[in-house]
Amino acid sequence: MGIISIEHSDRLFWLGRYSERVYTTLIRFADRFDSMIELGDAEYKEFCARQEIPDIYSSVADFARRYCFDDEDPNSIVSNLTRAYDNAIVLREEIGSATLSYIQMAVYAMNKAKVSEVPLLELQHVRDNIVAFWGIVDDSVDDEHVRSIIKLGKRVERIDLYARMHIDINEMKREIVKLNRRIERTGLNFSRKRLAHINYLIEEDELDYEGLVQEIEALVE
Amino acid sequence: MKHLCFHYHMQIDFDIPVKDHHFTLKCLPKDSRRQHIEKLHYEVFPNRFISRSGDSFGNECIYGVYEDPHKEFLIDVKGEALCGLKEYETEGNRTDANFFKYQTAHTVPGANIEKYHDELIRRFEGSQDRVREKAEFYMKCLHEDYEYKSGSTRIATTAEEAFSQGCGVCQDFAHIFLSLLRMEKIPCRYVTGMLLGEGLSHAWIEYFSDGLWIALDPTNEKVISDEHIKIASGRDYSDCRINQGVFMGCDREAKQDQQICVSVEECV
Amino acid sequence: MDTRELCRYSGSINELLARYGVRFGIYKNNTFKEQLFPFDTIPRVIGAEEFAFLEKGLKQRVTALNLFIKDIYHEKQIIQDGIVPEEFVYAGSGYLPQCEKVMPPKEIYSHISGIDLVQAKDKSWYILEDNLRVPSGASYPMIARDLCRKCSPQTFRNNHIEDNRNYAKLLRRTFDNVNTGGHTVILTPGRFNAAYFEHSFLAEQTGAHLASGHELMVENDHLYFIDYSGKKERIGAVYRRISDDYLDPMNFKEESLIGIPHIYDVYRKGNVALLNAPGNGVADDKGIYYFVPKMIKYYLGEDAILKNAPTYLPYYPEDMEYVLKNFDDLVIKDVAEAGGYGVVFANKMTAAEKDEFITLLKAEPRRFIAQEVIDFIDIEIMEQGEYVPRKADLRAFVLMADEPLVWKSGLTRFSRNPDSFIVNSSQGGGFKDTWVLSQ
Repeated sequence: MGIISIEHSDRLFWLGRYSERVYTTLIRFADRFDSMIELGDAEYKEFCARQEIPDIYSSVADFARRYCFDDEDPNSIVSNLTRAYDNAIVLREEIGSATLSYIQMAVYAMNKAKVSEVPLLELQHVRDNIVAFWGIVDDSVDDEHVRSIIKLGKRVERIDLYARMHIDINEMKREIVKLNRRIERTGLNFSRKRLAHINYLIEEDELDYEGLVQEIEALVE
Repeated sequence: MKHLCFHYHMQIDFDIPVKDHHFTLKCLPKDSRRQHIEKLHYEVFPNRFISRSGDSFGNECIYGVYEDPHKEFLIDVKGEALCGLKEYETEGNRTDANFFKYQTAHTVPGANIEKYHDELIRRFEGSQDRVREKAEFYMKCLHEDYEYKSGSTRIATTAEEAFSQGCGVCQDFAHIFLSLLRMEKIPCRYVTGMLLGEGLSHAWIEYFSDGLWIALDPTNEKVISDEHIKIASGRDYSDCRINQGVFMGCDREAKQDQQICVSVEECV
Repeated sequence: MDTRELCRYSGSINELLARYGVRFGIYKNNTFKEQLFPFDTIPRVIGAEEFAFLEKGLKQRVTALNLFIKDIYHEKQIIQDGIVPEEFVYAGSGYLPQCEKVMPPKEIYSHISGIDLVQAKDKSWYILEDNLRVPSGASYPMIARDLCRKCSPQTFRNNHIEDNRNYAKLLRRTFDNVNTGGHTVILTPGRFNAAYFEHSFLAEQTGAHLASGHELMVENDHLYFIDYSGKKERIGAVYRRISDDYLDPMNFKEESLIGIPHIYDVYRKGNVALLNAPGNGVADDKGIYYFVPKMIKYYLGEDAILKNAPTYLPYYPEDMEYVLKNFDDLVIKDVAEAGGYGVVFANKMTAAEKDEFITLLKAEPRRFIAQEVIDFIDIEIMEQGEYVPRKADLRAFVLMADEPLVWKSGLTRFSRNPDSFIVNSSQGGGFKDTWVLSQ
């Protein structure tokens, strides 16, 4: 059993979060990319508002390029992928070179997509590598704490993003059941009070999405 | 020979709370051929843990840490010393001593000390190989030619800077003296300690000759015997700092106000 | 043996190296950049017998260097006996007074040494320099070999080549030999260090923990790693990849933010092993290099098996005379510089530069050494589909565990510039695998 420092437990958690953020925003982006064909500006403006991203874009085309590929835009997918990479690169010893290589390859795929004429197709490779990354985390990261902390990060991020997007309550419920199972296995400090409140919120008829975002963001201490 | 009671007290006040305060304190006198220490008692406050260590110059150290924010730090050392048991400080061997022949950042001479050194060579009439005679002559000259003036220099002042301005404190007397002796390839080292009747800590030097380390006090033009209590020695001031502290978690450097209170009296 | 066989896999192998993030970092205009370390697939091949000779010589050399360091920080017999002048020790940058009279566990000072060699056109080997402080580079041929085997298994089936992937095991043995009880950590200055890939890769491969200074702390004369649950785990050995100066702000450079306060006090008490031991740079100073054959004779009573490049110390009047007379044929090195800096070839200077340099040399003779330029052999590399000859050196790794161990491989670095003799990766070179034949 390894020993994990506070800094590394934090990085494992955020590796999970950012990998999920990249993955889910890529899927949502692909959906919008399609609907923007007919609906135009209104679509991406609403997308930004939901995720509390400042609308700094001048057109549909500008949004499509910068939201995906602009290193200078802190909310872009590439910026989030860079953060995932920055966390992963210092975790080689915990997660292993093979696991790390999938994040590395997602970065390469992102760089390729940036200069491609059909970026959406290339972005599929970014998604493929993230899915493979999660697969190998499950398959070959032996240390249960290491594995669980990454997966908790992923879970927390997903609930956060889904709540912002007002995803259907049943899907939210499934995620929260998984969250409950996972968090106990991490050895991390978290607020039991907030977890209880999350479990209460999800049973309400009218789901308080904003309340849920607040609680999930502050769950892990 | 004298039986001395000493009390060393240092209080540091910080203008902002400091955190993660790591410290190494060279504040404990120890036995040599010339002095014998007894009834040594010390306190360091605050601390989460302290331990004893040494350095490679043979000095005693207390080291430790205090993590929580604090605005003051104090060291208190008390004890008794029998001084003047021998006329030299310790024995030593030439190979080890030779390390102290080399100038350091504090002692490296510039044009003014070099000029002064040339003058001393001319003035010295004794035999070149009489190290003792030469060291005492240089001390006498320095004492006559250099003025003591409290507060006229800072701790970072080098020998050359201190000499160029014509006045300084005991630290500067010691650094200039070391610079001169090292130009003569005489191994010599910086000493911190306490002096009978002095309210502050004091500095002097030791030079190496014929297998012995012999202490001279250039500020008072004295061959040291039974009124000085040695605490630490090294190549220059920076090897013998009584209090060395590092703060890992502060936004800006804290300003320190350091009060030192020393008393050395003959025991009754 | 067809050493060009792997060339057709060159693209695939380099792709895999990129996949695994095999890089080194450099600072350009004050910003940190990671670069792929260009790998050339044509190996340097060393025969079994030839390597056995090198191995013997390397063990001898590192054994003597260890004895020298121990002597310098304790008895100083070699100075007293007039073999090494004291100013080369005390005035050298590698000597640390803090190390006086401090004995490391099992009296080992240089656990991991990187010895740079070159082979002259007449096939004889010369030692170029000893790197005892924090030598890096073993990870590169180690991972490259693994990938080459994946791409071209038949090459390794058909040739008898010593497997070099055991480096991690040798390293582990070296750690365990001196561990004073507890975990082993690899101490890194952080991901913005040139060799961060190596630090993290060696941690993974040896099963040691990779740690930064702030993750470790000293308490009650022991060193601890703080777990995220707040548990303190004792550390018995630190393979530190930060230089002496930055290791401990309380005992070395006070402004160091990457070190661990008081780690040296704990080490002084024998409660943790530091690999390599602080102060061991006293033996790899360029000025001390000259004396290594003499120390081998002095400590071991043997003649040096591996030769130094013919070296002159302008400090000695007769050497100064020789250097001035033969100035144009020599390479002059500033003893205080490393990494390929401070190396000048006299024949490349203008007349004015020469005059200026000679004035400096006369003013500070101890600062320089002069060496005959060894015309070392070219090794083939592939550049844009062409085979071209390039200068290359070899960094051999010698580990001091319960006995001296020589890794049966090494980092072969080559200069990409056809006219350059300087092969350091920080100056834009590439690397090759080094094959040691097993029969």
